[in-house]
Amino acid sequence: MIVAVVVVAIVVVAVIVGLILRGRTSADGVDSFRRQIDALSPEARRPTVDQVKNVERPADDDDEGS
Amino acid sequence: MARDLAIDLGTANTLVYMKGRGIVLNEPSVIALNRQTGEVLATGREAWQMIGRTPGYIVAVRPLRGGAITDFEITERMIRLLLQRVGVSRFTRPKVVICVPSAITEVERRAVTDAARRAGAADANLIEQPMAAAIGADLPIDEPVGNMVIDIGGGTSETAVISLGGIVALEAVRVGSFDIDAAIQNYVRREHGIAIGERTAEEIKVAIGSADPTHDENQAEVRGRDLMTGLPKTVILTPEEVRSAIEDVVSSIVSSVIRCLSKAPPELSQDFLVRGMYLVGGGGLLRGLAERIERETEVPVRMSNVPLEAVVLGAGHVIEHYEALKGMFMGARR
Repeated sequence: MIVAVVVVAIVVVAVIVGLILRGRTSADGVDSFRRQIDALSPEARRPTVDQVKNVERPADDDDEGS
Repeated sequence: MARDLAIDLGTANTLVYMKGRGIVLNEPSVIALNRQTGEVLATGREAWQMIGRTPGYIVAVRPLRGGAITDFEITERMIRLLLQRVGVSRFTRPKVVICVPSAITEVERRAVTDAARRAGAADANLIEQPMAAAIGADLPIDEPVGNMVIDIGGGTSETAVISLGGIVALEAVRVGSFDIDAAIQNYVRREHGIAIGERTAEEIKVAIGSADPTHDENQAEVRGRDLMTGLPKTVILTPEEVRSAIEDVVSSIVSSVIRCLSKAPPELSQDFLVRGMYLVGGGGLLRGLAERIERETEVPVRMSNVPLEAVVLGAGHVIEHYEALKGMFMGARR
């Protein structure tokens, strides 16, 4: 009897933990996608793209691909 | 504490972006070695000036061809020297993001990351060149619209359709501006019977090379070695001759753009007609290429404001927002 109760309790706990983790994973997915899209916005990119001012180009091979 | 780095390890040039500092190095991907001792004599611009002009015991080589590492050991030494020049030592090991052609194999991928780790990187991740180029060219890839980028490098040409931060369609060919130089070299040898070096071929391309007729066309005097007599000789080359010499390479690039367009979903295709396609990479600077692609695809082609730096700037942006953008690394989403 006690064994059955313990097994049921373990199963219930496992299901609850599983549901929580699943919810968190999908929330994490939404958050990380949002963070990625935000980091790709023109406003976020402006400081990096503006750093091209510091570029020093090679004098003799500036038609070459990179 | 080392500052993290983004590296555009190109067939022609290597650019390095340092977190918080911007582009700190822009040099040809060339290394000069003593053939007998294996000692490195020069790298970058200094080594580039030696190509084809070295005595027997020195060899100046490009360790990358077609965007892939052809000599693992030399590439590793070149990366190590480049990293040393930007302040990386055995005590300061930065995280590194490296731009690579999207079509590289698993083996080539491992070769690049291993070379970077052995050269002093604490961690090395890869990002596809067209994706980095689209970020660096400031295209609105965060929006659900079709952005098309054509990246023509020294050894590869890649076209990608990007929307919502991901690649929707991709087409890559291992053909680039070095193949244009080689085509000119072969033409001059075949039709005029003179041998010219790769730097001379490149100078011809820059001076009179074009993918489509342009309004300011001049002839060029070409000096080389007569294959019959062995003596120095000068010939005159016309723009039409150069166009016909490089036609196969140009056609191959244009065809890959057309194939990429045909792979794009219809909802995104209509965006290209309004927004156009963006050309980046040194190969994209070939005169008349944008016009030729535009004529054959009937889609407007625009040149990026930063054609040579777009890729490293894009990777630099990823290193600046490492945590938010690490899902864009090759392998992270597969």
